[in-house]
Amino acid sequence: MVRLRSWSWSAVATWMAMAVAVLSPTAAHAGFGFQPPSAEELAMKAEPKAPGAPAIILYRQVDRDDNGSTSHEDDYIRIKILTEEGRKYADIEIPFVKESGNISRIKARTIRPDGTIANYEGKVFDKTIVKAKGVKYLAKTLTLPDVQVGSVIEYFYTTDLSEDWIFDSHWILSQELFTKKAKFSLKPYHNDYSNMSVRWSWQGVDNPPKQDPDKVVRMEANDVKAFLAEDYMPPENELKSRVDFTYSSGILEKDQDKFWKQAGKKFYSGMDDFTNKRKAMEQAVAQIVSPGDTPEVKARKIYARVQQLRNVSFGVERTEQEKKRDKEKPQNNVEDVWKAGWGNGYGLTWLYLGLVKAAGLEAYGARISNRSEYFFNPNKLEDRKLDTNAVVVRLNGKEVYCDPGAAFTAFGELPWGETNVKGIRLDKDGGQWIMTPMTTSADARTERKAELKLDEESGSLEGKLVVTYTGLQAYELRDQERNQDEVSKKKYLENEIRESVPVTIEVELVNKPEWKDTSVPLVAEFTLRVPGWAMSAGKRALLATGLFSAAEKHVFDHAARTYPIYYEYPTLKVDDVTIELPAGWKVSSVPEALDRDLKAVAFSSKVESVKGKLHLTRSLRTDAMLLDTKYYSTVQSFYRMVRTTDEQQIVLLPGTSTASN
Amino acid sequence: MNNRLFCCRALPLLPIRRGALTLALLVVCLSSAAWAGGDAPGWMHALVSVPLPEHDEKTNAVLLFSDTTVVVVSADKVKTHVREAYKILRPGGRDFGVVKVPFDSQQKVTGMRGWCIPAQGKDFEVKDKEAAEVSLPGAELVNDVKAKLLQIPAAEPGNIVGYEYEVEERPLALQDVWNFQELSPAKEKHYSVQLPPGWEYKATFLNYPEVKATGGGGQWQWVVNDVPGIRKEADMPPLSGVAGQMIISFLPPGGRSVSSFASWPEMGEWYKSLTNGRRDASPEIKQKVAALTSSKTTTLAKMKALAAFVQNDVRYVAIELGIGGWQPHPAADIFVHRYGDCKDKATLMGSMLHEIGVESFYVVINAERGSVTDATTAHMGAFDHVVLAIKLPDDVQSPDLLATMNHPKLGRLLFFDPTSELTPLGRTGGYLQANWGLLVSPNGGELVQLPKLAGESNSIERTGQFVLDANGNLLGDIREVRVGDRANSQRAAMRAVRDSKERIKPIESMLAGSISLFRITKATLVNLPDNDQPFEYRYSFEAANYAKSAGGLLMLRLRAVGSKSSSLLETKEARKFAVEFDGPAKDTDVFEFTIPAGYEVEDLPPAVDADFSFASYHSKSTVQGKVIRYTRTFEVKELSVPASRAAELKKFYRMIAGDERNTAVLRMAVKQTSAQ
Repeated sequence: MVRLRSWSWSAVATWMAMAVAVLSPTAAHAGFGFQPPSAEELAMKAEPKAPGAPAIILYRQVDRDDNGSTSHEDDYIRIKILTEEGRKYADIEIPFVKESGNISRIKARTIRPDGTIANYEGKVFDKTIVKAKGVKYLAKTLTLPDVQVGSVIEYFYTTDLSEDWIFDSHWILSQELFTKKAKFSLKPYHNDYSNMSVRWSWQGVDNPPKQDPDKVVRMEANDVKAFLAEDYMPPENELKSRVDFTYSSGILEKDQDKFWKQAGKKFYSGMDDFTNKRKAMEQAVAQIVSPGDTPEVKARKIYARVQQLRNVSFGVERTEQEKKRDKEKPQNNVEDVWKAGWGNGYGLTWLYLGLVKAAGLEAYGARISNRSEYFFNPNKLEDRKLDTNAVVVRLNGKEVYCDPGAAFTAFGELPWGETNVKGIRLDKDGGQWIMTPMTTSADARTERKAELKLDEESGSLEGKLVVTYTGLQAYELRDQERNQDEVSKKKYLENEIRESVPVTIEVELVNKPEWKDTSVPLVAEFTLRVPGWAMSAGKRALLATGLFSAAEKHVFDHAARTYPIYYEYPTLKVDDVTIELPAGWKVSSVPEALDRDLKAVAFSSKVESVKGKLHLTRSLRTDAMLLDTKYYSTVQSFYRMVRTTDEQQIVLLPGTSTASN
Repeated sequence: MNNRLFCCRALPLLPIRRGALTLALLVVCLSSAAWAGGDAPGWMHALVSVPLPEHDEKTNAVLLFSDTTVVVVSADKVKTHVREAYKILRPGGRDFGVVKVPFDSQQKVTGMRGWCIPAQGKDFEVKDKEAAEVSLPGAELVNDVKAKLLQIPAAEPGNIVGYEYEVEERPLALQDVWNFQELSPAKEKHYSVQLPPGWEYKATFLNYPEVKATGGGGQWQWVVNDVPGIRKEADMPPLSGVAGQMIISFLPPGGRSVSSFASWPEMGEWYKSLTNGRRDASPEIKQKVAALTSSKTTTLAKMKALAAFVQNDVRYVAIELGIGGWQPHPAADIFVHRYGDCKDKATLMGSMLHEIGVESFYVVINAERGSVTDATTAHMGAFDHVVLAIKLPDDVQSPDLLATMNHPKLGRLLFFDPTSELTPLGRTGGYLQANWGLLVSPNGGELVQLPKLAGESNSIERTGQFVLDANGNLLGDIREVRVGDRANSQRAAMRAVRDSKERIKPIESMLAGSISLFRITKATLVNLPDNDQPFEYRYSFEAANYAKSAGGLLMLRLRAVGSKSSSLLETKEARKFAVEFDGPAKDTDVFEFTIPAGYEVEDLPPAVDADFSFASYHSKSTVQGKVIRYTRTFEVKELSVPASRAAELKKFYRMIAGDERNTAVLRMAVKQTSAQ
């Protein structure tokens, strides 16, 4: 959102979030009235292109007029109710932020299956969702009468946008319901005396929006599938059909190279203004490194020192009163950050850049995207999606990517959302495109080593377990529990173990893991008891091989798959379990070893019997990020194989038994 | 005083979800609130060195002091002043830094202030003007219940946060509930009441020994000390059924007010007056009743037709403003709009039944069994739901009518919940069974216990035919017949699917809980829309490597599908509260496995016979020729298992878990050589 006369970044940041949320779900035009129902719509029992749907959107229209003084958006929506469940769509809630606009001219009606019409003549309720100083988040709420299976419901309303403000807008085509037909239009803001410009980008649309001679951008869409979430899918924003309009001050640059050069220069200028405190940084770095340190040692020492500073991006949200009490002032440069002894993630990463450069190392700042919410696409010319920063340090001829502001990443490690993403390595000429490194499974390891005894009477396993979390696995744990106490952290780690074993267990953390120092793995030691793991089968006892197999039990259970498979980052799990058998027990048979490597995923399992002990090793590796839907059956089969192997039984002969096979 | 009869059985899903954004906005609004300086008041500073109440290392915060002063100005005006202070012990206690005061259109919150006394440094203070207002999430589409929120700075472990506020209200009932036992342990709590001249009170303690009042002359005070906190446990009774509370009714001079709820009959009278005339049938209702019933020849058939109409054609929508939280809309309006909440649906159903000569009565109840028992004192906050008790005419006799009781004055009553769209007339869901509700009859009000049905009314009968090959692969055909809540859950899951290809997912999930590798080859649903008929799944599947090959043996787990065991009680801490079952149940599995040619049975798992008063489990396996037959029954007989018997329940579940993992051992048959 941009204010036409004046605006501030903080206001934009706050209002932008609200505007997106309020304006994106649906959008329309009250200039038209209701459309008469067709015989076909009334008779419709189901939509062949949306089998089983509880309701479908027959028609949707969004007309936006950003004229700057009486800007408004008209939304019209027409829904066919196909099942009892679909009747819930007769409950309508239209949220809006009072300060950015108002909802007016709401009209709604129900068309019964026989074609008779019940106009909505009831009250439209004003619901306060949040009202606080300076903010009113409200909703217009109504429910349509006499809605039955077979009914068509329709409503339209106008969102009157605040005078003197221009808001970005988004046409989200993929809705909770299948859309049979939709029309969209946007009349962009234009003023001969203003340099405001708008650009738009789209994805997943068959007929992209076009700007007509009257300057209005229009688009039609047909048969848009309902959006259904799945496990292991890419971010929703990447999967939904959508068009995004973005306003900005300045001349619209359509040439991609020029656009990004301009953006790069702007980023560089901002970074340079923040980091260019050479003298202060030299003084600071002298307190951290020794002249005789190698470049890598220097880089690591500085990294560790920066991570010791308080990172407010990862702390508990504090009130303004607390900030004022602590005299927290806005930080304008790295010297401010260093002197204050705290900073946000962004500032700390730039502080690192300032320090390593002052230490004489070759280093660059970079603006990169984070793929946790969307996948960055330079073609869309959305510079604000390069939304995070990192430092590239050149050591021994290699580029090392660092983001100490991410709080729990080790030196040379990026949070997973910043791996394998595009960015710009910044320089005064506009910078160069870079791709951050993709991690491998070795960079995110979970190693479980157990020394257990099998109890003769109960069939329980009992002993010690040591779990070593390395790289991104340690990062995730440290980040997750960063603001918790020891009791909570203990419970969290114990629950991690509980969730990894397919039966109920007794587990207790017995050491104090290192939660802060990112240069070392997070090592957790437990006492473990697995009641009744050995099963009785007549004269024999059976022992399943997959002790830590619960996480794989229900992966990709379902036969159908719509979206690609998305692993956030590669991982490796290695299990090493030794089981001491009761005296006199013998091993009758062990399953055959298995080693299957499909490159993207790999699994191995082996059981050995050595001198009254069983030695079980298991390794599960994923080295993929995004797999096309066509590979779903292969991946599904792989996990089935993992489950089958984990269920393989070791046959034991208790001391008093004799084998009969 | 904010309870409402909105019903929590059928939650309408709003098309636009706002939870996440609301939270985000709150963070923005509250954390950016302007600040004010000021010391915490003396009553808070006096708490700095008081010993903490008994607590363990998992306790997030302890309540140091609470004082609630209720001033009854008149029957139309009550003022309540509250001050409370907590010491935060753990990061999880940061939530105590957000003060939340619910209010509705009859209430006004004033004088809200909060303070923090940090372990080090100066005090913080926040005032009313920094508070935010939010609507409270609930089942209602529209209501007037909101909350005022105030964020106290520095709500960190080691610090003391406190607040005070005043609520002025025009009360719907001359009654209050002092909830003095909560999740946090409390050191000291005070409750005071000030009454106008001539007024009296009646106070009753629930789930806690009675505390004597001190004072007199229109002012009384109660004090409790060192009240233990309640640590929540899975499947425990509702909090209101176990937490210490004081119910206090304010009794005006010159005769009692029915809204004082000094007894259940009085509360019944109040509800009767509130609903008076609401069930009057409009001409349109009469016409509809005639249309629905004219072709039906029996009273029961007519009742079923009306029940189906109210269940299916009247949408659940709750619009509750002011007294609308308790008072139903007129039947005529509900009929025209074709929507309403639980009390609206009961109202329309009662109205329509009346038109065919069948009388019915409201039953005000709590949708969570255990909130109210026969020991509970009448109070407004006890209930959140309304169902109907239908007086069965003599000509209505049917074995399908299970949820009945014989009332000494009213005769045979059939309980029916028109809000539950899936429970047919004649039955009630587990949540209503053995539950206590206020029967509102012409005679007034009376607390009655609804009937508990037999386990067979809520069951899964699963039969499976399986063929095993020598590689351990299994072909299976399963027929699963479900009734009661066991059927409802599946019907609800099927209703919720948004794409026909999702219909297979409940079966896939069910199989995935028992079998690692399977492929469903055929599946059909029987009686999905016919709620008064048993719901059936019939499906076939292939399961590769189902039986595990080891050392020339095949290990065959006989419990192919479904699980009855539970890890509920596998906890470090001893159980403190009773375990509540959803309802009675009786499930049976009969599985027949044809073993591969050339194999014979070497070992079968032992039979299991676990019989406790609350539940039973029996399983056995037998061999006949090439077929192993495994049967088991699981029955819930009592709806609540006291904590003192938790060890027995744990043992019960362990026995089931053991049986569910047991396997039969098959081996290659020894070839007989014959003499030539």
